[in-house]
This record gives sequence, C-alpha cells and structure tokens, in this order.
Amino acid sequence: MDGYIYNWNVVWDSLPELQQGLIITLQISIVGMALAIIFGLTFAMGRMSNYGYVKKFSTGVVNFARSIPLFVLLFWIYYGLSLKFAINLTAFQAGAIALGITGGAYMAEVFRGGIEAIDLGQREAALAIGLSSSKAFTLVVLPQAIRIIVPQGVNVYVGLLKGATIVSVIGVADMIYVAQYISLNSFTPFEMYSAVGIAFISLTLSVAGLAYLLERRLNRSSANV
Amino acid sequence: MSNSQPFFDFAPIWQSRVLLIEGFGIAMFSAVAGIILAIILGLIIALMRLSRFKILRGFAFIYTQLFRGVPLYVLILWIYFGLVYAVGIDIPRIPSGIIALALLNSGYLSETFRSGILAVSNGQREAGQALGLKGWQVARYIILPQAGRIVIPPTGNQFIDAIKDSAILSIIGVPELMKVAQEQANLFYRPFEFYTVAGLLYLVAVLIVSRGITALENRFAKYSRKSGSSENSVVTTATTDASH
Repeated sequence: MDGYIYNWNVVWDSLPELQQGLIITLQISIVGMALAIIFGLTFAMGRMSNYGYVKKFSTGVVNFARSIPLFVLLFWIYYGLSLKFAINLTAFQAGAIALGITGGAYMAEVFRGGIEAIDLGQREAALAIGLSSSKAFTLVVLPQAIRIIVPQGVNVYVGLLKGATIVSVIGVADMIYVAQYISLNSFTPFEMYSAVGIAFISLTLSVAGLAYLLERRLNRSSANV
Repeated sequence: MSNSQPFFDFAPIWQSRVLLIEGFGIAMFSAVAGIILAIILGLIIALMRLSRFKILRGFAFIYTQLFRGVPLYVLILWIYFGLVYAVGIDIPRIPSGIIALALLNSGYLSETFRSGILAVSNGQREAGQALGLKGWQVARYIILPQAGRIVIPPTGNQFIDAIKDSAILSIIGVPELMKVAQEQANLFYRPFEFYTVAGLLYLVAVLIVSRGITALENRFAKYSRKSGSSENSVVTTATTDASH
C-alpha cells in the first residue's frame, strides 16, 4: 500500500455531483424537520394534557420513538412497512418520515421543556386579566417559550442533518451516495470521504453557530422588554 | 406475495434466533467497548481543555469540534475504506466500528466531563487542601464523587446513543443485530417481521440501560446535599442530538 498517490483532483472534478447530493441532504433534512415539528408539537401537547391516558400514551410514544435507532426505523419503514402494506414509499419519503419520527421525539421534549420553563404565574396573570386559556397560551406563554425552543430546535436540526447521511443506504442520492459511487469508480475513498466529512463538519458548525447567534439575539430582546 | 403465505409470519424469527442473539451480543459488545474507550479518551481531552498549555487546549478544542460535527456514517466509511487505501492501515470490521463509536462519543463526553469538573466549586478543593488532604486525595475523595454525580446522566445518555448508533456498523459488514436482521429478512423475504424484532431488541436494551442509569444516579445521590432519589429519568434528561 505504500506509495499511495493522493488524488484530490477527483474531489474537484466531482464538485457538481457532490453539490447535487448536498442539496438532496438539505431537502430531506428540512422535510424531516418539518415533520418533526408537527409530530413534536402534537406529542408535547399530549404529554402536558390533563387527561391521564393521553399523557401516558404520548409519553410512551415519545420514549418509544427515542429508543429505536434511526437506522432501524429507516429499514422498518422502507423495507418492512411499505412492502407489507404495499404503501410504495419512495426512498426519499421513507427517509424523511424516519427523520421526522426520530426528530419529533426530540422536538416533543424541546417543546415541553420550553413551555414548562415559563413560570406558571405568567399564565395565571394572563388568565387573571381576562384572557382565554388559548389566548393566554398563544399571546403570553408561547412567545416566551419560543426563546428557549428555537435554539434547541436548531440543535435537533443539526442532529437530523447528521442523521440524514444514513438515507443513502436505501438509495437516496445524497452526498454520501455520490461519494461512495465516485470512490468506487476512482478508488479514492480516502479523498472522497475526507471531503464529505469536512463538508459536514463545516455545515453542522455553521448551523450550530447560527443557533448561538440566534440565542444571543433572542436573549437580548428579552432583556429589553 | 403469493396467497399461500400468511400475512404475518414470525416463525422465521424463531428459526434465526441464535443468529439474532449473536448479533445482539456483538452490537452490545461494540457499544460497551466503544463507550469505555470514549470515556477514557473523553477524560483525556477534557483534562487537555482545562490544561495550562495553549497547544493542548487548542488541540482538544479542535478535536471536540471535529468529532461532534462529523456524522458517524461518514466516520465509519472514512476509517474502514478510506484509511486502507490512503495510509494502508487495514483495520478489521469490528475494531473499525468500535473506534468510530469511541471517537464520536469522546467528542461529546469530553464536553460533559469538562463541565462536570468545572461545576465542582473551587472552594471544595480548597477546603480539602485546608484539611490536609494530598492532591490525589482531593481528586479522589472530593472532586470525583461530586463531578461523577453530575456526569452520570449525560454519560448514560451517550451510552444509549452508542447502542442505537451501533446499528450503523452494519454498513461495513459488522455482523451485529441489524446486519443479521438484513440478511435473514432477505433470506426469508420477511423484512417487516425481522426489522420489527430488531427494533424491539434495541428498545429492550435501551430501556434496561436507562433503568440501570437511574439506579446508579440514585446511588450517587447520597453525595448530594439534597439527598433522595433523582426525579429525572435518563430519557427525560437526554441531549438534543437527534442523529441517532
């Protein structure tokens, strides 16, 4: 193996394909995140419900979804569920749903944590000045909770972005898929995977940096109130 | 699908039970070995980040950023396929997977350990020294029990993530649970049944481990001034990293 000649030109030559793959990665992670927000909000509400059964059921679903590996969920949905019930999901759809379920379980905790962090007195005060229960939530509790929810939500998104890399195993043509394909033809796995790794690290770091700035901004605006 | 076959058929699972249990064992072994290495590496990196030397601090900072940012999938491919070609280091499948799990988790754990050590107030160290304890005695009897209590829940979560992540090792052919499930699902053409059972086995492992961690937390709670059982189970104190 000695005398290996590094061939970084392969990376430069395949930049257009890698860029295509990156777009797919971003698309699937964004669709997954949208599903995660819907799923998460639903089950966060469920967990905070006054009805014992709704509460127990929601808690069970969240813990269940969090204990199953994303990888297993992906295979279960794409090969198991869609074949068994002839749903015919595309690989992209199956990937987005799996990301949505895993992300949703985390988002449920983020929503709940954010809402429960708001002092109960805020809600009581809103009710005392005559707001309805739903208005007290949307006008008083939620705007304050958002400050806590948004930065943590971005962190969940960073996780989904990293998790989205595994969708290539079911044939979604994302960045990893492109890198695998090219490295098989050119025998340059080291160069290709290094490039993809660097791309991902810069992507996740910049999104996380964005979350940090956002958090600071949101905290500043709260100090001015 | 022909009509002569039952819609759900879990009999093939029973036929493949030995293979599945072996795969489960390899998955657990990989996760345990990975997390033990990650704890050792994470502690070293945490101490480097708290060091007086700028070079060590800088290295440790880059290390944490690197391994917290890279997806496990890419890291595994890079170690198993990339390194062989470029550097000629031919690491077998299982060690490759364990190394990847260790590197990835050590990035997170080093941050956990650093904040755990920093969370123990300086007055505690000073009080220990004032009582005439030696440096290692302060570390052993004063700092460690208190920092340990703080880091147990996040370290436990990391272990759970490692168990879940171990399923990804199947992509390089590690014969762990998910790999076995894939092979058997193709053999019997029963993907739904096999992936359901695989998912349930991971679920059981995660639930057992989280119970264990809660028990450990409660044992350590005696070092806490507010003694008594901890209210938060591991699942509710989990990190927000949704990549597993």
